[in-house]
Amino acid sequence: MKRVPETEQQPADRMLADVPLEEEVVLVRIDVAGEDVEPLLERGIVPGCRLCPVRHAPAGGPTVYRVDGGLVALRKETASCLCVRSSLEAAGVLDSN
Amino acid sequence: MNVGTGSTARNRGSAQGVGVDKGTPLVAVVGPPNAGKSTLFNHLTGLRQRVANYPGVTVERRCGTVNLSAGPVELIDLPGVHGLSARSLDQMVTRDVLLGEFEGDRQPDAIVLVLDATRLESHLMVAEPVLGLGIPTLVVLTMADELGRREGALRCSGLSKELGVEVALVNARDVATLQPVRVFLEALHTGGEEVRACPIVTVAEHAEGRGGGRVLPMIDLFAERRQRARELGRSAGFQAPRLSRTTQRLDALVLHRFWGPLVFAGVVALVFQSIFAWAVPLMDGTEAAIAASGNYLAAALPESWFRSLLLDGVWAGVGSVMVFLPQILILFFFIAILEDSGYMARAAVIADRLMHRVGLQGKSFLPLLSAYACAVPAIMSARTVEDERDRIATIFVAPFMTCSARLPVYALLIAAFIPAQPLLGPFFGTRAAVLTGLYLMGVMAAIVTAALLKRTLLRGRSAPFVMELPPYRLPTARSILTRLLDRTKVFLRRVGKIIMAVTVVLWALTQFPRTPGGETPPIGDSALGQVGQVIEPAIEPLGFDWRIGIGLVTSLAAREVIVGTLGTIYGVESEDEEAFELQAALQQDLDLGAAVGLLVFFVFALQCMSTVAVMRRETGGWRWPTLQFCYMLVLAYAGAWVANAIL
Ligand SMILES: Nc1nc2c(ncn2[C@@H]2O[C@H](COP(=O)(O)OP(=O)(O)OP(=O)(O)O)[C@@H](O)[C@H]2O)c(=O)[nH]1
Ligand SMILES: [Mg+2]
Repeated sequence: MKRVPETEQQPADRMLADVPLEEEVVLVRIDVAGEDVEPLLERGIVPGCRLCPVRHAPAGGPTVYRVDGGLVALRKETASCLCVRSSLEAAGVLDSN
Repeated sequence: MNVGTGSTARNRGSAQGVGVDKGTPLVAVVGPPNAGKSTLFNHLTGLRQRVANYPGVTVERRCGTVNLSAGPVELIDLPGVHGLSARSLDQMVTRDVLLGEFEGDRQPDAIVLVLDATRLESHLMVAEPVLGLGIPTLVVLTMADELGRREGALRCSGLSKELGVEVALVNARDVATLQPVRVFLEALHTGGEEVRACPIVTVAEHAEGRGGGRVLPMIDLFAERRQRARELGRSAGFQAPRLSRTTQRLDALVLHRFWGPLVFAGVVALVFQSIFAWAVPLMDGTEAAIAASGNYLAAALPESWFRSLLLDGVWAGVGSVMVFLPQILILFFFIAILEDSGYMARAAVIADRLMHRVGLQGKSFLPLLSAYACAVPAIMSARTVEDERDRIATIFVAPFMTCSARLPVYALLIAAFIPAQPLLGPFFGTRAAVLTGLYLMGVMAAIVTAALLKRTLLRGRSAPFVMELPPYRLPTARSILTRLLDRTKVFLRRVGKIIMAVTVVLWALTQFPRTPGGETPPIGDSALGQVGQVIEPAIEPLGFDWRIGIGLVTSLAAREVIVGTLGTIYGVESEDEEAFELQAALQQDLDLGAAVGLLVFFVFALQCMSTVAVMRRETGGWRWPTLQFCYMLVLAYAGAWVANAIL
């Protein structure tokens, strides 16, 4: 992610798994190893995209996120590898383009 | 297993060489999963490819002809892809076809790129690698109806100008909107100006990460693609639709921590109860029709060997299986509603916890669910599972899921041995409960087996779970009816071929050796009876007699054949003229323990030649099918023995 130099990263960055329901966030970094990252990228989960958790599946199952007008379910382990920022803070940095 | 596109990707010389002998134009239908490719393909070709509302339905290449006034066009329906870097077997099919590397195929002359208009921006990410192939393309944006209903908007002209190819907005479910696609296909013959390739061929170089030695890190590559897709969306004046309200409401219920699992259980109970309760009038009707036609034939035909073959052999055998068609259709009716509505993807999300514990991917759940209809397409759709070990494990456990061919056997034995009593009021009776129990046993066997495999032979890391949830869609009456019709055809074909053949052979074996007086022998002394005596010692511990033994042997071809076999054996055996009762005959020959044992045997055993054959093809050898057959046989035998010993 060239658009967000390391120095600009604020302590406000969180992991997607910790975001409460209905709060919209912007993805800033993906910490998933190797080829496992591609299924995420292909579905539009790329740095700069907006994500919003809408529902937890029963019994600690995956969480459903709103991405790009669609719904995608991710496991907690995956969601804890996605570094996000509240969409308000990110607005100035990422959506300038 | 990241199979990048080979360097032959750009080497189109030879592929074009085939292309120049202008035969019928070859057109590939490409696009992300669940975008509506097969729906479009079906409408244009008149074929009936499987369509359902979850990603990863099509896993094979399928050809069909579109007849246009200018001439025919060969259309290829393909598995959904997000790009050309194929990670799973189904995606490899699409990639190979697009690159002209598919065995026996030349590179397509044109592409119909199908994208979901409601998800335009993320779906446009696939446009870059596909348009980059430099093949003439028509971009078809589907779901026009949903886009409008959910207050989204876009203009095709802006997008078309930006991409340099023709763009059409359609509702793939509505033939009337498909005119632009036909115009494009016509133009392949007439050389119309609609047939254009994207001028920016260089994007493909980026897509493969080989652009002039500069290798983009994958994340940056996709971020760039995404950025470009967003700009394209902007040029089309794309206004993203809001989420469907129905979908949000239904998800609030279906994925609710308390109501969700309850809804799931309720759906299952409803299906099983209706298989017994609703099917009764239909089954009575079918039964009466078969009996009446049998009686008519009995009266009309003179006494002869042919009459005996027809009535005692074929009519008794085929008729006993035919009775179960209504129950199978009810099952398929529910499967169709669940698959077409979008519930399957939710079921996969709910089951993901369990799948994860077992060691399988959440993605394996969809093939396993489709195994409730039939294991053969389920084993094929395991191609969508990216990890090879997970794919094999999925294939291995798929036959434990209760396929519809077991239903006649279950229904027959349950009706014969389990008295119908209400359990939860009129909604759930004892018979439905036993049926549910049998299905659960299959599920348990699958879970334990998968867990064992993933800890021994197929140990591997667990892949991440990314599951797209499509919006709920109202299943169309047309799609449900065609499914039921197709199913009826499949059923009749199986009955007509396998069961007919088996019953004729069985009947013939009951006619010899003739008694000294030239009469047909008592069935116990006939050739069939003698074969039965050979089998009997092996199955005696399970409480089965030789008749069941013959049934078990013939059911190796296909499970429901045992019903036809027993029909023929008892049919030949019954001396009196009027139609015999298969249930009553079974009640005399089996005690409760043996009957339950037989049910358990059918839960576990792999009695299906088609499954074994497709296993061999999909795993590339006899190793896995052999192991699976033996494993399931041992389980079945042990289970039946235990049931017989306890009860
Ligand atoms: N409302 C609406 N539904 C559509 C349209 N096109 C397809 N569908 C539905 O979308 C779902 C997916 O359609 P398919 O044709 O199976 O999609 P596919 O692209 O072949 O999917 P895969 O084979 O999984 O790659 C089905 O439920 C269709 O009925 C459309 O234009 N409008
Ligand atoms: Mg399809």
